Order: sequence, then structure tokens, then C-alpha cells
Amino acid sequence: MRITLITFAILFASISIVSGQGIGSPGTIKDDGRFAASTKQLNQFFRRFNGEESPDGNTRFYPGDSLYRNFPLRQGFIQILFDNQTGTTSQQLKSDFIGDVLSPVYPFYLNFHREGWFAEVQAEFFYKGRRETATLILKIQPEGLGYEWVIDAVSFPPFKNIFNKPEGDQKDFLHPLSHELGFMNLRRAFQDSKLPEAFTDSSFHPDYLTIFLYEMKQNNIRFDTVSDVKFHFFQVQGWYFEVRQFNRPGFNTGWLISNLVKLNPGDKETIEKYIYDQN
Amino acid sequence: MIFNFARFHAALENKNKHMKNTLILFLGLFLASSLTALAQNDNISPARKQAIDSLALEKVKDLSKYISIIGSKETQFSEANRVMDRAEELFAPGAEMGVSSINSSEIAYYKVRRYFERLMALNYDRVNITWYDIQYISDLERQPDGRYVGVITIYQRFEGTSIETGMNYKDTTKKDITIYVEKKQTQIAGRTIEFWDVMLGDVRVTETSA
Repeated sequence: MRITLITFAILFASISIVSGQGIGSPGTIKDDGRFAASTKQLNQFFRRFNGEESPDGNTRFYPGDSLYRNFPLRQGFIQILFDNQTGTTSQQLKSDFIGDVLSPVYPFYLNFHREGWFAEVQAEFFYKGRRETATLILKIQPEGLGYEWVIDAVSFPPFKNIFNKPEGDQKDFLHPLSHELGFMNLRRAFQDSKLPEAFTDSSFHPDYLTIFLYEMKQNNIRFDTVSDVKFHFFQVQGWYFEVRQFNRPGFNTGWLISNLVKLNPGDKETIEKYIYDQN
Repeated sequence: MIFNFARFHAALENKNKHMKNTLILFLGLFLASSLTALAQNDNISPARKQAIDSLALEKVKDLSKYISIIGSKETQFSEANRVMDRAEELFAPGAEMGVSSINSSEIAYYKVRRYFERLMALNYDRVNITWYDIQYISDLERQPDGRYVGVITIYQRFEGTSIETGMNYKDTTKKDITIYVEKKQTQIAGRTIEFWDVMLGDVRVTETSA
């Protein structure tokens, strides 16, 4: 493993020696290999993970090319796709993951268009004059002639305690013969109660995204900026990993795996619920 | 042997039918392949992708050149304005620059023209903008409207010196530049020619630790 890493480091360092790659004419600065080594786009994360480009990233490999999804190429790439500086993932866990991904019988590849991955975006908004951070979950979906990112869910702190549905024998309710009175007692739910949600179905769950969009349409919420982005992947069977961007000196930078979890039965749902259901 | 006309006719008819069927089959196959070719016309082959990458990179090079000219203190005001016009023409309408620094990951948004104007107004006596000899070009993904979109990543080094204060400011920024790729048509000598055009879109500017 160490030998592969050293080989890749030497390869990236040697890329700076290759001429004619720059966008500019003479006067361009030679990269010492750091930018070549950096996983500069999430697109590059996909390509490196799958072994679909050359080490310098200048050549895209397509099905039929001799190096397309080449085993040693993937092996080298996947090891540099981890946050190896600040990450707490154990070497054993990484090895198990890499072993599964590079399985000679059933290797795993990431697919941009397939389900099983999504983005988590932290964005700043002004809500009724106050600055608030919202967590948006976005996913890719087919639409029209191509694909688009769509907002799947939102978590917004000001909405956190708006709904607090009580349960059990202490809650307010509409008695079971209300229909005989033409539901005249709806007044209790909509006028007398401070918790109208107490009168909803036991499976009631507020749709925060709808409320968020409604407030936006009412000009109560105004977008300010994006402050953080990360991606969650469940595409490798039995594994979850998180990818985020590392902007720091050195060779281990760009979009890297920042968190890796081996999934036991039920773990996937728990993690998804944690990410989605943050209200 | 008595020549059986009826059988001959029947055979001939059969042969004709067979030929007709074969002809229909061939025509069908030809049309199908033409239609497939037409349907596939909008798909981007690896060879075409490479050609589009080159075209996109040319536009990015032009942008880099324009940024250097706009940022240079030696450029006259009128000339800088003319170059800003040229640079703006590279972009799709409404394109924005999203800028963040090492200290803050929050993005400040500027319309392209405003970004150039800010660059021109920088209060340095000497400005030197250079580019690293490395870039990355993403795959092209198709949007709902049928256009393709990609991202080119480049790295820029900025160095500004103020003679009066002796202040010297340096930074290296990563620029992720959106490219829109669209098939267009033009008439040349009465003939309709199709070509792929590239426009630049939103640019994400991130200060790096390099």
C-alpha cells in the first residue's frame, strides 16, 4: 500500500515536468505536483474512484480503452481519495473498504446518475431579519432531456419547535361522535388550541420544505450565501462514506473521503434519518 | 419438359415479392440507421468531447488573457473597458463570480462585469497575474433543456505591489469555470451547417492555501 502511495506521489510530482499542459503561454507557473494530486472536482473523485482517467487527469479513459477501470490504477487512486491528514478512519477499515471496492469477483463503481448519493449544503438565509443557517439535501434526478439537482429536504432551526404534536390521554382531541354535531367542535382545534397539530393523524409529519418555500414566497426568507457542501454515498454495498473538500497545503487535498462507516443491517436507515431528519 | 408459365409466374412473383421484401427491409434498415444516426447526433462521442474541450479551453485562455490585461496597471482605462466588453462576450447572460477566501468559506457573488471592474480598481501599482500549467476538465452532463454543461478548473496566481506602502499581496485562487455546450446552426452559402458552441457560465473562485 505504501509503495503504491509513493508511486502515485512520484507520478504527481513528475507531472509538473511535462510541458504543454498549461492554459497559458510562456510565463505560466509550473505546478510542483500539488494541484495535479488534488482531487479538484467531485467529477474527478468519481473518475479516480472508478479508474477512468490517467494519473494527471488529462486523459479520460472510456470503455474499450486498455486502462479503463484498470485494477492497479484504481488501487492507487482509491488510497489517495481519503483524508489521510486529519481523518480518524483506521487503516484496517480503509483496507476492508478498498478490499470490497476492488473485489475481483464483484467490484464496486460509483455512478453519477444512479441513486445512492446526495449532497448536503449549508446555506445562509435571512429569516424575519435574522441570519439563519439552513441545511439543504439535494439529489440528482432525470428531467427533460437531461438531469438536474433538486432540493429533496430542508432542515431550518426556526422551524424546529413550531410543531410539537402531543400524544396519549392528556392531549386535546375531537371526540368520536363529533360527526353527529357536524364537527361544530372544530373550533376547539382552530380557535381555542395553541397546538392545532394535536388534532392531526398519528402519522402526521410536517413537510418543512413546503413551509420553507412558502415562507420564501411570502418574502420572509431571503437567500444570502452557501457556506459548506459535502456529499454522502451509499453506492458501495455495505458501506457509507462522506466526501468533503479539503483546502490546505500539501498533496492530500480537494474532494476526499472524510468519514467511512461499515454498515450493519439497519445502519443505512439510521444514518439517512440522521442526515435528513435534523429538525 | 413443359415450361410451366404459371409456376414461373408464381416463382417470379415470389421472387419479386422476396426482392420487394428485401428492398423494404434494406430501406427500413437504412432509415433506421439514419434515424439512429440522427438520434445519436446529439450524443457526444469521446472524439467530439476532446474537440469541445479544446474549444472550451481556448475560451478559458481568452478569459485568462483578458483578466491579466484588465488587472494590469499599464492598461489604459478605455482599453480596459474594451477588453471587459470582449471578456463579457465569453459569458452566458447572467453569469456570476462566486468568491470565497481561506478565512471564510462563505461566497460573495458578483456579476461578471462588476468582478472585472473590481479587478481594474485594485489599488496596486504593480499587478502580476499568472496561471499554473495545470487544468482539469470535467465530463459533460446534459441538462433538462438539452444543452450540455461542464466545469474547467484552473489555478491563478495574483501578486499586487503598492510602491507607496511597500505592501505586497499574493494569493493563489482556484477557478472552477462553468461551460455550456450547445449545438447551433448557421447558413453558409445556402447550406445549413451545424456546429458546437461553448459559452462560459458561473465561476467559483476559491482562495487556496498554496
